[in-house]
Amino acid sequence: MPNDPSNDIAIEIRDVSFAYSRSGGSPLPAIDRVSIQVRTGERLGILGPNGGGKSTLLKLMLGLIRPGAGSISICGRPPQDARRQQLVGYVAQRIEAELAFPISAREAVLMAIEIGASPWRRRTQDDRAFASDCLERVGALAFADRPVGTLSGGQIQRVMIARALGRRPRVLLMDEPTVGIDLSGQQRFGELVSRLHADLGLTIVIVSHDVRAIAAGCDRVACLSRTLHYHDSPAGLTPAVLGEVFKHDLAAVFGDVHLDAHMADQCSAPGHTHGPGHVHGPGCSHDHPGAEGGA
Amino acid sequence: MNTLRYLTESSADLFWPGVLTLLVVTLVCSVLSVIVVLKRMAFVGQGVSHAGFGGVGLAAALGLAGSTPATLAIVLAFCLCAAFVIAVLSRRHDTEPDTAIGIVLVGAMALGSVLLHVAHQVHPADRVPGWEGVLFGSILFSGWAEASWSVVVAGSIAMLAAWFRRPIMAWAFDECGAEAMGVRVGFVRAIVLSLVTLAIVLAMKVVGVVLATAMLVLPGATALTLTDRWRTTLILSVLAGSGGAIAGVVLSFEADWPPGAAVVLSLIGFYAAGRAYRALSSRPARSAARAS
Repeated sequence: MPNDPSNDIAIEIRDVSFAYSRSGGSPLPAIDRVSIQVRTGERLGILGPNGGGKSTLLKLMLGLIRPGAGSISICGRPPQDARRQQLVGYVAQRIEAELAFPISAREAVLMAIEIGASPWRRRTQDDRAFASDCLERVGALAFADRPVGTLSGGQIQRVMIARALGRRPRVLLMDEPTVGIDLSGQQRFGELVSRLHADLGLTIVIVSHDVRAIAAGCDRVACLSRTLHYHDSPAGLTPAVLGEVFKHDLAAVFGDVHLDAHMADQCSAPGHTHGPGHVHGPGCSHDHPGAEGGA
Repeated sequence: MNTLRYLTESSADLFWPGVLTLLVVTLVCSVLSVIVVLKRMAFVGQGVSHAGFGGVGLAAALGLAGSTPATLAIVLAFCLCAAFVIAVLSRRHDTEPDTAIGIVLVGAMALGSVLLHVAHQVHPADRVPGWEGVLFGSILFSGWAEASWSVVVAGSIAMLAAWFRRPIMAWAFDECGAEAMGVRVGFVRAIVLSLVTLAIVLAMKVVGVVLATAMLVLPGATALTLTDRWRTTLILSVLAGSGGAIAGVVLSFEADWPPGAAVVLSLIGFYAAGRAYRALSSRPARSAARAS
């Protein structure tokens, strides 16, 4: 019996538009007729400037908001159903978690494992073993019993990924996963994503405004600035493409740098290192000021 | 010792119901206070507790001041409405949460004051509570019937908190992540606000609407200065809360202080002691770090 090709599609976004309503004003369009297909087991990076609709698209994929037009399916189901059936794991930006909470990294993962369990159900040895397994997969077992408030940015990020894995998801969505993490931490993050992908066969979507986070181990890249400007291999993501996609607003994409004509001539792919005014990539030899320590 | 005399002699029936109510209220408030502190809900609690003044006034104006269950139900409904109004106003982009709380707080106080005045005129024969009693409470206000009601309501709060403990913890730790994991965060927020409101209504009787928030802030704040482990935090919060309540009662009996104020001052004493202990215990570590 031939395989159903629809089984190979983990995420199907078809002609989706969304606008935020404003009191007393016309709706503010955030996404306009975006179509993206993500195959099962694929790693997709969604790159775009702040305000380009990345987080809105993530909320749509999570089913937290509904599209004004078009449709989204996750593993063949509406996003709300996929979320409730634990098919989707989500790693929010680190800053969104309450780090003053008096729990250890292990308890944070166990908390995720036990969500939805009957109030009468007691914690089992299997729960503890699975939490250790999740922490080990992300390289967080060494600091599993430390309070979350004492962990570095990179360590917290690993714990949050372990928390998402605790739901046994088939799709893993990550929102700005490298914010506040130094260069070596970002490189380790790329290796971690590749390892999770290889070990668990997860479909992974990474949303970021930083090309380094996207280029680190993604199979395809989608550039989003309200509309979809590019959706293909990272190899085709040249500075010329970025310049066209982001309409020369690269400061919004890279924060403290600008794309100049000299660099545009020399670069052929993200990851090149240059002098002042270069594009950050996996091979960058410096870091943003104020970045925190990695794992 | 006055304490032993008051609690063992013929006057025991006058004091024991209030003391029992205070201890029961302290237990549930101590557990909830950890979440209140971590989710920064102290000012919301302040708004809701002051709304209780309006509820007491309404019950008195309706001629129900003599009925504990009716008064409790009206105050609870009034406080829940206040919490709802705060939540709705805070969601509007043109109103900050602290502004919404401030509006509800002063509105309920003003309404309560007017309604108590009306109650004194319309139902002069009723045992209408004075504003001082409502604001600062007293353990003498509780009889055995009130104490029984308090035990039932406190037990319900404890059971609901235990039933919803997992989604509540997930919501409190990471609201956005919890929603993505399928937790209905709006429902959980409503549950927590309802439990906090119930606890405040219970606490109002013994420490008054002004000081009720103290029971929902100080035990948790004390525990969180001493530990970063969840179970230990809950245990220390209960110990700090019940310790403060017992110390306050003793202080009140021995020094003839108002009980509510004595309890709150004792809780503040425990909090100050906790902070001092943490400062002293972390000093050697800081010195060692500086030396290295």
